Amino acid sequence: MVIDIFVVLIPGLILGIIFGFILQRGRFCMNSAFRDIILLKEYKLAKSVALAILVSMLGFAIMSFGGIITLNPKQFAWGANIVGGLIFGFGMVLAAGCASGTTYRVGEGMMGSLVALLGYAGGAYFTKFGALNSIAKFLQDNTKITNPDGSALTVFGDLTPIFMLIIGIAGIALVAYFWIWRELRAKKRENKPMFDLSDFGQKAFKKGWHWAVTAIAIGILACFAYISSAAAGRNYPLGITGGWVGWNKYWNTGVDTTLGWETWLVIGIVIGAFISAIIAKEFKLRTPKDAKTILIQFIGGSAMGFGAVTAMGCNIGNILSGFPLLSLGSLLSGAFIILGCWLLAYLLFMWRKD
Amino acid sequence: MVDKTDTLDCRGEVCPYPDVKSKRKAKKMNSGEVLEILIDYPLSAERIPETMKSMGNEVLSTEKVGASEWKILVKIK
Repeated sequence: MVIDIFVVLIPGLILGIIFGFILQRGRFCMNSAFRDIILLKEYKLAKSVALAILVSMLGFAIMSFGGIITLNPKQFAWGANIVGGLIFGFGMVLAAGCASGTTYRVGEGMMGSLVALLGYAGGAYFTKFGALNSIAKFLQDNTKITNPDGSALTVFGDLTPIFMLIIGIAGIALVAYFWIWRELRAKKRENKPMFDLSDFGQKAFKKGWHWAVTAIAIGILACFAYISSAAAGRNYPLGITGGWVGWNKYWNTGVDTTLGWETWLVIGIVIGAFISAIIAKEFKLRTPKDAKTILIQFIGGSAMGFGAVTAMGCNIGNILSGFPLLSLGSLLSGAFIILGCWLLAYLLFMWRKD
Repeated sequence: MVDKTDTLDCRGEVCPYPDVKSKRKAKKMNSGEVLEILIDYPLSAERIPETMKSMGNEVLSTEKVGASEWKILVKIK
């Protein structure tokens, strides 16, 4: 065994378990977050995603100035970002969950998500190492633009770390004032206590979390994940795709060096979500009512896998981890993930129906 | 015990069908009628009552009836 248990396996697994717990409690799924903006005019999860990104951004900036981490934004390759992002966005609507949403729902016992996840792991593996690799590589190599020294393009160039700090602080202040403070004030007007900590155990383990609590928890976790992941030789915060690709490679080759930090993180997510769902009595092995749904989820998962590897990241790698780093490639991928999600959600759920 | 007019069984439906179907069903119903929604998807257990309220309907109850199963009663306005 060449896996370093204390640097790679245990930290990855523990952070994954915490991440899975938070994801399940917060019902943190970006497919729902983006889709509900247009479909249900429901913004809680979108607010949660925005705040989690801002907390991460501030955390990464502080850790970077403190010399604790080295910022490592993803590369920009517009063709790969656009095509990969769009296909990922389409895929997550069909799979009924983004990369993190699909992973944590497996822990809730949703077998449709398990099928989507198998499609995802397969699609990602074939695109990373197999038959579809030439397409991803063609897009990535032919549309890549870097800084003169070969480093990744970021929005503010050399000034990006200082802007991360500024945007992080200003963004959190705006979220706190316009979203959180207004909610608290509305509670006060109704003569309800602003912070009701009674039944804390009930609220923490049995009910879904408030969007801001989920967001802050994920932002803080992302900072610890960055340190832990870098110590294990993977200089990047949270990610999902690489984890499932790693398992697939291990199953196919038997080489255990492929079992890096991220592979233990994704297993941890499933375990954490399972624990959380069991405590809240939300675990149930279940299949979609309609067999066609399972097939659609599989196709969606496979498309997500192709999209994630082509765009060099899923919604976690590109949006949750990539937006805070202000990587131009991640921002473009993320924009097209959202666009793909909206286009397909509109066609499937809103067009000619409502 | 309220008399329910109709029941919508969304158990075994994937995201976002429980929400979409509840919304469509509620729109078709008449004022004063009571809709019972059965779901097994945690996110919808929180989101459907919110959506129903924002549509102007009255959420009479959200009851957990089993492992990952909920029953929501909505009075249409």
